[in-house]
Amino acid sequence: MGSFIFKRSLQSVFSLVALIILIFFLARMTGSPADLYLPQDASAEARFQFNEQYGFNDPLIEQFGRFLWGLLHFDMGQSLQFSRPAVDVVLQAFPTTLALAAITMPLVLLVSIITGSLAAYRPGGIFDRLASILSLVGASTPNFWVAIVGVLVFAVTLRVLPTSGTGTALHWILPVGVLMLRPTGVLVQVVRTSMMTALSSTYIKTARAKGVGSRAIVFVHALRNGLLPVITVASDQAAGIVNGAVIVETVFGFPGIGKLMIDSVLLRDFAVIQAAVLVTALAVFVINIIVDIAYALVDPRIRYS
Amino acid sequence: MNFWKSIALVASTALIAPASLAHAQDATAVTIVLPAGPDRLDPCETPRSVIGRIIKQNVVETLVELDYANQKTLPRLATSWEQTAPTEWVFKLRPGIAFHDGTPFDAKSVVHSLERTNDPALTCITRTKYLDGIAIKAVEVDPQTVKFTTKTAVPILPTLLAQLTISSVNTPKGEYTAKPIGTGPYTFDHWTQGENVGLLRNDAYWGDKPVIDKATYVWRTESSVAAAMVETGEADLAFSIAPQDATNPETDKVYPNSDSALFRLSVDIPPLNDVRVRKAINLAIDRKAFLGSVISDKAELAMQQVGPSALGFNPNLKPWAYDPEQAQKLLAEAKADGVDVDREIRMIGRPAMFANSNEFVEASAEMLRAVGFNIKLENLEMTQWLKMANKPFSPDRAPNIFLTMHDNNSGDAAFTAFFKYHSNGRQSELHDPALDALIVSAGTKSGDERVKEYNEVFRKIYEDVVADVPLFHMVNYMRVGKRLDFTPTIANAVELQLARLKLADKATD
Repeated sequence: MGSFIFKRSLQSVFSLVALIILIFFLARMTGSPADLYLPQDASAEARFQFNEQYGFNDPLIEQFGRFLWGLLHFDMGQSLQFSRPAVDVVLQAFPTTLALAAITMPLVLLVSIITGSLAAYRPGGIFDRLASILSLVGASTPNFWVAIVGVLVFAVTLRVLPTSGTGTALHWILPVGVLMLRPTGVLVQVVRTSMMTALSSTYIKTARAKGVGSRAIVFVHALRNGLLPVITVASDQAAGIVNGAVIVETVFGFPGIGKLMIDSVLLRDFAVIQAAVLVTALAVFVINIIVDIAYALVDPRIRYS
Repeated sequence: MNFWKSIALVASTALIAPASLAHAQDATAVTIVLPAGPDRLDPCETPRSVIGRIIKQNVVETLVELDYANQKTLPRLATSWEQTAPTEWVFKLRPGIAFHDGTPFDAKSVVHSLERTNDPALTCITRTKYLDGIAIKAVEVDPQTVKFTTKTAVPILPTLLAQLTISSVNTPKGEYTAKPIGTGPYTFDHWTQGENVGLLRNDAYWGDKPVIDKATYVWRTESSVAAAMVETGEADLAFSIAPQDATNPETDKVYPNSDSALFRLSVDIPPLNDVRVRKAINLAIDRKAFLGSVISDKAELAMQQVGPSALGFNPNLKPWAYDPEQAQKLLAEAKADGVDVDREIRMIGRPAMFANSNEFVEASAEMLRAVGFNIKLENLEMTQWLKMANKPFSPDRAPNIFLTMHDNNSGDAAFTAFFKYHSNGRQSELHDPALDALIVSAGTKSGDERVKEYNEVFRKIYEDVVADVPLFHMVNYMRVGKRLDFTPTIANAVELQLARLKLADKATD
């Protein structure tokens, strides 16, 4: 298993390097930051000075060399927006998004495994139909719309939750709820299908014949075998939380990496874009490693291969 | 926010009762919602609204301030000023004032602030937008007197200095500061990155003691959330809420924001090089039909690119009437003379330039098609849009009708006329020597003569040349909570003086 994880890590490093190169050049194809950071009527001298100060007048390959040299020294450059090291800006925002994801994903797994398993236990029953409809609605409703409606219902009309911000624990309920919606909708469907297959297996029939209780059948015998596809989809959804976080952080005023990334793209803050992509990619890489380990724990065939 | 702190916070959810939503706060403290958070809090960047609305005239003050309603400059940190020579101005400073760090406000601090703003190591917007090109310098005459010199005569120097904030000599040169030190009625207290900025009342302020003793600034990009924060009492004032969120006449107040929207025409490229075609475009757009639908009904029809608050605005120009028959007639005439009026014209917009701007350009394109124009609609992202907006223009570009929105909150037409219409202006489509001479001449005049010459500049552009399609002088909506007694003005486009916020009678009971 050690060599398996080593191989996967090596693949991820190559992907990471390719991503960094791609981001560096793609970002610079999108236009000059001088146009965005200076007034539109700024003089040509002021624009030249700006580009000179940040090294944008240098040949692209020279800028890239400087970027790589900085990267080797853990220096991702200065943020144009914040006039601070880009890594500091990103690492300051990252914990909020990480906390959002760390709270959201376990809740998503808990809700979807229980709901999907119960729905699969009696396919076609009322609970199954209800779960299917709700999960489809959850998976297909735009986060943005749900977030706004959530604010209007729970904060403005019912006055039981704050509209936005990060002051207290109550501030996290709406953002986490909104962020849970899509992955829960998707995972309930996956768990349901996977569990239906597992529950119709012969070893389940054997367990039933031996008089094992239905709770043990569903949550002990079937679930372990039904979990493999769930882990795969859950890892995709966890990585996708960054996408959802953009919306949630924008609407609820959370100072996370999703909103920072979007703002940096719009403002051509190259150093922050690069640092944010790198940190996010590393996080996705760690998620993948965790998923690989989870696979190995759930499926001995992987562990011993 | 720290990761473990966040986790611990959420884990304690069950222990916190909804009673915490009571929003208990000091009666004299306010929370203000901005549409975006600051990236820095440097005094030399206050012309950017994202910074100016927090610190300008609250933490850092200017020598003079603009009176937009009367197109005048008023004393602030300076008590008087006079032009002693064409390129020389002398300002007398208010005595007995100290900065928040205890250092005295004197000529040295003014010289320091100007030198810091002029330092090319910083991209100070005050310099790049207002002071570049005039080579302004300041010298101390005595502790309470400063002499400013410029390369050429600048009759509106006091207007320009309304943009220069004065900070303590302890504000470092050559690097941005996140802790502004000024003389204002409020001291900078804290800035929690990504979350909020706090100011506290300066009880040693030289002027009247403000009512509000503490201000917290938060930011929400989503207008409906900002509006909801005021409605629920979480905040007291929200800037720039969208027209569709301004649903409560009691709290939602409209104010001009100094932005003027218009379509710029590529006047050199056929068929737009024919004045009849340009007139036809103006006649074919039903501007009034947009008011109250996709554009706020409080916006005003524009006749020129500056609004009434700018010195030089020509009040005698009349908005174009909506007359599609006349537009068709002009097009037919041009066609008969061999003008290729069927040629495809690009209409360029930019998403979110203003509320409902996409809908606006779509409807405008349809109105032009209705009279016979061949319009291809395109929406460009900001940098692509800027590339098209600015010179050098592409030599093989197609004829275009280009949506722009110009913000002149400086109080003077000089910042529009040269940039937009002089041959050397970065966004000018025109190259008319007579107009150039008039623009340059107007810039050197002062008083009534200046007003008269700029009036003529705009008359020429709109009546003789028909250079573009003036649309609307735009407005913003501000939601002001019931605790406050405040009416926004055009000045709030770039600043909000906390000292002018009063508590409503009910709130003080």
